[in-house]
Amino acid sequence: MKRAIKACWRTSRALGAAGLLFAAMAAWGEDGQAAHLIRAEVLAVDCDTSGAPPSEVDSRHLQGEWTTVELPDAPLPRSLSKVNASLNNGCMARTLWYRLRLPDLPLQHGPLVLYAARIKVDGPVAVYGDGHRLHQAQIQGALWNSSRVPLWVVLDDALEADHTPPRELLIRMAHSPRSPVALTSLWIGEATALRWRYELRLWFQTELPAMCGAAFLAVGLFSLFVWNRRRHETRYLMFFILSVTSYLRGLHFYVGVPIGQDMFGWLTVNSLFWLIVTVHFFQLELHGRKQPRVTNVLVGIAAAMAVLTLPELSMLPNTTGVRPLIYLFAMLMGISVSVAGAIGSWHRSRTGMLLAVGVGICTLLGADDWLLQNNFIHQEGWYLGAYTNLVTFSIFSYIMYRRYVDAIDEVERSNASLEQRLMQREADLDESYQRLRLVEQRETLSQERQRLMQDMHDGLGSSLRTALWAVEKGQADETVIAEVLKACIDDLKLTIDSMEPVDADLLLLLAALRYRLGSRLENSGIALRWEVQDVPALDWLDPRNALHILRILQEAFTNIIKHTRATEIRVTTDVDGDGVVIAITDNGQGFDLASAMHSGGKGLSNQERRTRAIGGRIRWESSAAGTRLVLWLPQKRAVV
Amino acid sequence: MTTQQPLTQIEKIHVVLVEDDMDYQNAFVAAVVASGDLVLAGLASTRAEGLRLLKGPPADVLVVDLGLPDGSGIDVIRAALNAWPDCGVMVSTVFGDEAHVMTSIEAGAAGYLLKDSDPKNMMDEIRSLNAGGSPISPLIARKVLMRFRQSTPPRPSANADARGETAQLSAREKEVLDLITKGFTADEIAGLMQVSRHTVLTFVRRIYSKLKVTSKAEAIYEARNQGLLAD
Repeated sequence: MKRAIKACWRTSRALGAAGLLFAAMAAWGEDGQAAHLIRAEVLAVDCDTSGAPPSEVDSRHLQGEWTTVELPDAPLPRSLSKVNASLNNGCMARTLWYRLRLPDLPLQHGPLVLYAARIKVDGPVAVYGDGHRLHQAQIQGALWNSSRVPLWVVLDDALEADHTPPRELLIRMAHSPRSPVALTSLWIGEATALRWRYELRLWFQTELPAMCGAAFLAVGLFSLFVWNRRRHETRYLMFFILSVTSYLRGLHFYVGVPIGQDMFGWLTVNSLFWLIVTVHFFQLELHGRKQPRVTNVLVGIAAAMAVLTLPELSMLPNTTGVRPLIYLFAMLMGISVSVAGAIGSWHRSRTGMLLAVGVGICTLLGADDWLLQNNFIHQEGWYLGAYTNLVTFSIFSYIMYRRYVDAIDEVERSNASLEQRLMQREADLDESYQRLRLVEQRETLSQERQRLMQDMHDGLGSSLRTALWAVEKGQADETVIAEVLKACIDDLKLTIDSMEPVDADLLLLLAALRYRLGSRLENSGIALRWEVQDVPALDWLDPRNALHILRILQEAFTNIIKHTRATEIRVTTDVDGDGVVIAITDNGQGFDLASAMHSGGKGLSNQERRTRAIGGRIRWESSAAGTRLVLWLPQKRAVV
Repeated sequence: MTTQQPLTQIEKIHVVLVEDDMDYQNAFVAAVVASGDLVLAGLASTRAEGLRLLKGPPADVLVVDLGLPDGSGIDVIRAALNAWPDCGVMVSTVFGDEAHVMTSIEAGAAGYLLKDSDPKNMMDEIRSLNAGGSPISPLIARKVLMRFRQSTPPRPSANADARGETAQLSAREKEVLDLITKGFTADEIAGLMQVSRHTVLTFVRRIYSKLKVTSKAEAIYEARNQGLLAD
């Protein structure tokens, strides 16, 4: 709230400064002669039927009694009514004549001009210099902006041949009986001396409010586009409606259209009510309470006004005669909205309170207009009603600005918290990943240990134990022990080889086996015929399975060396169905499978066990001509 | 130094061993002595001793164990390349596993020697190396193939000179490696490609030296990438 007031203050100060600057610049213009006319004689002609202002008038021939008045002259409406009451009811027009004596003005610069802050009258206005008509306006009646636009008449045409200004000035103002009439004090002099007064009035009474209204409308259109994308945010729509009604409302401050019983009048007058009603709805949205009674009354009045003032129905004229009454209603509505808004927003919505105060200010500005229009206050004052536009615009812009900034803050906060959550999540994930890895590592280690333990238990361990016993019992046959130890080293080498990744390449595994055992075969005098051919990759060939295969084949070679007296071994590979076949054929004397199994040959059963473990099949074909071991391996294995 | 003339009594193969395992030292020395055409030119048990030996007269073949008590044998391999450019370096390993062998080859070794080989095989390997051949196992062959596959297509021209034409494997070299990964021995490959066994082993030696160049070029490239080296 404080911030908003500060902002408002800053804005108004800036505008004020601009105005002052403007005035100062004008005042700096070349000084000239000017006279301030604050006294005049006035003559009222009731029931004037003369119609349009004549082109020549001799003030001495006018009928009636001249009375002296101080300018500004603005009779109160009540006194006017009295006058009217005393008149015949049939009178539709009354003419006021103001006569002013002009002082001597030695002209040096530029044209002679007449300036008045305001001539308020609803009929034609004419200005005469020494009896000649020099200027006339409002021939068709008052314009909407008439009371805001100051009088500025160039009197050069009136100059006599000797360049002396006229001696007598006559102003004719015709008006309908009930309408307010006013004439401010007048200035006559050189344009250079008076222009700044005129420009300042014009700027602050019409041009600045018009600019504000247009700016408000532009922002309103922007708001409409926002609402078009975000339909649930009715604020933006209301903001747009506000800007439109406010703009329409402002039109009659600066549009030079004759006042009449037409749609333009209907629109500009009624838009004030719509504006008030929209502000009320906005207010409800801000404080989030329902005020059904206030709403009903406001909407009711606005609707009634809209219907009653329709030009087609003519139930109630929307023009001069009734307007003071209409605006009284509007002021009452403004006060109601302000009070209801303040009550609703109390301790609930700071922006709501701000708006309530703003509505109050706008109502006061409207009241100023009303009082000025109806001659209750000094006529040289300013119409401030047009600035309700500026007030509402400032407040609503502030509200939208708060909303915008809050939204950005909110986004930033949520982004920050999102980032934080994300980081937290990442940390969690990282931690759980680390834990998982640790578990996996332990698992792998434990599996690997089991695998090696099992392997060593069957192979290396038992071989070494056998050798150890033999040595301890003193039965150590050196060649036997050497054989055992060599076998142990072979075992170890194959274990190491099994840990090398072979990339599913069975031939590479067989090659490694040959590389390790080849020399033993050679030393045993056995020729090796290596007749392998390419086979498909075996994806399941991990170290564990590789070692199984190595051990199965190692056992086969060992058996051949130990038990068969073979002289030649043939190793072949082949594709067989959905698997691969390794065959090892020797030309030894063969063996009886059943008895070999039975006699507790641990080797054969180990081969069978390992074959089962890798999902393969093994068989022996033994005859007197030799033995053939066939190991079938699946090409694909389901992941265990 | 080493010439391609037939070996005579005088032109024995001079071998230096850097090894901290006393048993293996003894077995190795015994095998060399028994061989007749090899002679032990030096013996060291630590990295420091090995490096000191390199200041002496060059040997034909240097056998180095990686796990020395005072540091890595890799340092000795690198130093030997500078001190004895014509010497064939072998890394001595129990298992001939990839970790030991690849690192050594990239450091400049021309071959490896399995510790559990019998003396005769061991001396044969040394002779073969001295004659310009290099041993290889299927798993190592596959590693080498993968290494070259990774570095092709060649990186942008910036280090084209560093890589040079030797950075790519020739079709025959690639064929040799392929056959090795399928389990064929050097003899069988020689038969299949209609060349001598020795030629196959010299192919391997050439592949190793390309691998060394490649890994050096890659190291330079990486260093440039990381701003460690000026262009």
